[in-house]
Amino acid sequence: MTTTPIVTSRRGFFQTLRDIYHEKTNFDFVGRSWLWAIISGTALLASMAALALSGLNLGIDFEGGSQWQLTVSGKTPAVADVRDVVEEAGALEAKVLLLGDDGVRVQSAELGDKAQARVTEALAEYGQVDAGDVSVTDVGPTWGDRISRKALVALLVFFVLIAIYLTFRFEGKMALAALSAVVHDIIITVGVYAITGFEVTPATVIAFLTILGFSLYDTVVVFDKISENTPTVGAARGDTYSAMVNRSMNSVLMRSLNTSFVALLPVASLLVVGSGFLGAVTIRDFALALFVGLLVGAYSSIFVATPILAWMKEREPRYRALRDRSAAHMARAGVAPAQPSPDDAAEVEPGTMPPAPPRPPGAVAPRPRQQRRKRRR
Amino acid sequence: MTLRRLKTYLVVTILVAFAGVAGVVAAGDEPVLGLDLQGGISIAYEAVGQARPGALDVARDIIEERVNGLGVSQAEITREDRTITVNLPGVSNRDEAARIVGQTGELRFRGVLAVVGPKGQEPEEASTTTSSGAVAPTTTTTTTPPSQEALRAAIKACDTETVSAALAAGEQIPTTSFEDNKRKDCVVLRERESRNRIYLGPTEATGGIVQNANSEFAPGQGYAVNVNFTSEGSVEFDTIAAKYVQQQLAIVLDDRIQSAPVIQEASFQGTAQITGDFTVDEADELAKVINYGALPVRLEKLNTVSLSPTLGRDQLDAGIAAGAIGLILVAGYMLIYYRLLGAVVIAGLLLTGMLTYALITFLGSTVNLALDLAGVTGLIVSIGVAVDSYVVYFERLKDEVRTGKTVRSSVDRGFTRSFRTILAADLVSIIGAAALFFVAAGSVRGFAFFLGLSTFLDLLVGYFFMHPAVSLLARRPALVRMRGVGIAAGLDAPGVQT
Repeated sequence: MTTTPIVTSRRGFFQTLRDIYHEKTNFDFVGRSWLWAIISGTALLASMAALALSGLNLGIDFEGGSQWQLTVSGKTPAVADVRDVVEEAGALEAKVLLLGDDGVRVQSAELGDKAQARVTEALAEYGQVDAGDVSVTDVGPTWGDRISRKALVALLVFFVLIAIYLTFRFEGKMALAALSAVVHDIIITVGVYAITGFEVTPATVIAFLTILGFSLYDTVVVFDKISENTPTVGAARGDTYSAMVNRSMNSVLMRSLNTSFVALLPVASLLVVGSGFLGAVTIRDFALALFVGLLVGAYSSIFVATPILAWMKEREPRYRALRDRSAAHMARAGVAPAQPSPDDAAEVEPGTMPPAPPRPPGAVAPRPRQQRRKRRR
Repeated sequence: MTLRRLKTYLVVTILVAFAGVAGVVAAGDEPVLGLDLQGGISIAYEAVGQARPGALDVARDIIEERVNGLGVSQAEITREDRTITVNLPGVSNRDEAARIVGQTGELRFRGVLAVVGPKGQEPEEASTTTSSGAVAPTTTTTTTPPSQEALRAAIKACDTETVSAALAAGEQIPTTSFEDNKRKDCVVLRERESRNRIYLGPTEATGGIVQNANSEFAPGQGYAVNVNFTSEGSVEFDTIAAKYVQQQLAIVLDDRIQSAPVIQEASFQGTAQITGDFTVDEADELAKVINYGALPVRLEKLNTVSLSPTLGRDQLDAGIAAGAIGLILVAGYMLIYYRLLGAVVIAGLLLTGMLTYALITFLGSTVNLALDLAGVTGLIVSIGVAVDSYVVYFERLKDEVRTGKTVRSSVDRGFTRSFRTILAADLVSIIGAAALFFVAAGSVRGFAFFLGLSTFLDLLVGYFFMHPAVSLLARRPALVRMRGVGIAAGLDAPGVQT
């Protein structure tokens, strides 16, 4: 009875893709929790280490200072030339950055109004443009704190509201699992910025907040399927909560991949166009954070949120009983008992997955739908 | 759902979308672009020190009055807690803007010299006089009217005779500009919420003499404003009162005359009551203004951004290009993946796009909602959110069809179930957008608004277009069965019955 084939890499990449499309896959998502735990754990540790060691490269909106940006006409700007020009005008130790072929961005410590106007004039002369065509940003030292604090408050409100909504719509444990996945996404995205040293701007913060929504969107789609299938747990012999989760995951896999892919397409084009276009730096800032966040979000709804949920649910008495019965059933059938009791994994840090050994192939219940398909043919 | 109902939904949705776009196009409106896209200046201020309740609103109103005086169209002045943000699209002289906007407004008491009357049609009158004068020169005029320059100087120097002569001669009396409104000079200023102007004497006292003010209902006299003076202020005010008994004393904040009551007594001993035909709101407002004057809010510049229109244009172009490319990629993928159903996605996206354009343009012309770069990005991102709904529905259809049902019978059941999922997921997005909108500041708000708006539209289009369209298509066996491109092919069910 336990003869359903398990999809492995030996079946070939394209065959696997075909299986995903026809929803014939039978991946053991929950059983391989240990693998996802290692992947996510490594990424989380690396992120936090990078954050602690090198920190974030905060833009002038957070640090305070003056910034000029212009598109030079008639020549190709050179960093050294621009630096000479602005230093002569009074902006010492300025940071000069070339954007595309003819874009120039200069950042310096905050200057007085007069010095700032001098630098603007000098840059306009250098770039052969009107002074009005030079964008000037002047940020006081407290501005950054203010917007960061507001973003943090927004984040907290967001978490509370979403937790309430998910608890009401699904259940508390699902809310907890979904939000754990979001925290996972945030840490890793911030980590990517710490590791790569990309500048953090207000645009990045906005993008960041979007990611939360997206990550949750995917998770909600998966959880909706799981909560729909929950009443069927234990209907078949040897069925467990984890097996039901696996069933649900496999049936929404294509949906999840598709929604993530479709969301990534416009963002990818933002990233490419933003990097290609001359002055479109803000767009690039947005797109980078979105792109990283979406990828991580797509991963986490499948490999973080769901295993955490399964792990929490398996500790509920009724599902534990089911699991014990299933193990006994397996033993009778001559298969080694499946997993140790979840208590063994009790010391796991929140936010990471419980380390669970891989299960023997037979632990996954056959999908009735496929049998029906076969019959129809 | 009945066939008729489905058709109605479909037709109404399409009509609404087209009517919306036609409406804004006919009105000649275009989306209002934010500062970062059209260029301009944005300055954020923070109130320094303690401020009385309502004082920050008065500070905001002062800035609004001044900016309107500059003739900047679509200026936007917003207050969030202690921060006041001033957006001046199309303005490029940041020094001048900062100087005019950032100054602390002062409450001044000035004596009334003469009522000048509204500005009205004076320029026209002036031109007719000159033209008629040129055609038929008369000898009746003995004095040549003073030039506007000379008149300005006379006003400033409190030369009452010249000014009243000019007034009697029907000359155009210039209003004193913001720069010329000096404490010691005489000025011509406008009355609040009226076109009437008054010629005022030099400042007798500033808001510093006031301790506080409050409004109350005085039996028999209607709503009144009580003003309490400080101990030194009381002495000072009594001196002024003695000078202006039975004359008008104007209370001026910045460039606006707030009220010009007649002083009834020579001595007040610390408290005065202003009465008139005040409504509750007027009395409250006057009390608020006087309180502000007692302790003006000093504003400190937090940040200034001046944005070049050419850079803004580049960003907009990049955003539009990215949006178009993203749409084409998504449309192509949907067609390949879902075949005929992919066309429903494309039509749905077009409808959503039209509705979004109409709404943004409408909100731009009514409540001055500006589309900034964060908003453009939010819209591009929302393409993904919108298409997700179709994917969720179509994948659900696949599930239904796989259980052996016909496409036609799966459509409704699949929709009921998948719409629950879509609703749950979209609600998460909307809750998130709402949290951002109400808590965050500046461009984050714009972004949240556009994301929330497009998610909401996505729900509407999903319910009133996606389902009816798919349902109607699924009723045509030929479309379902079409080899390779039909609905069944897109649902991975080539052999299914219709």
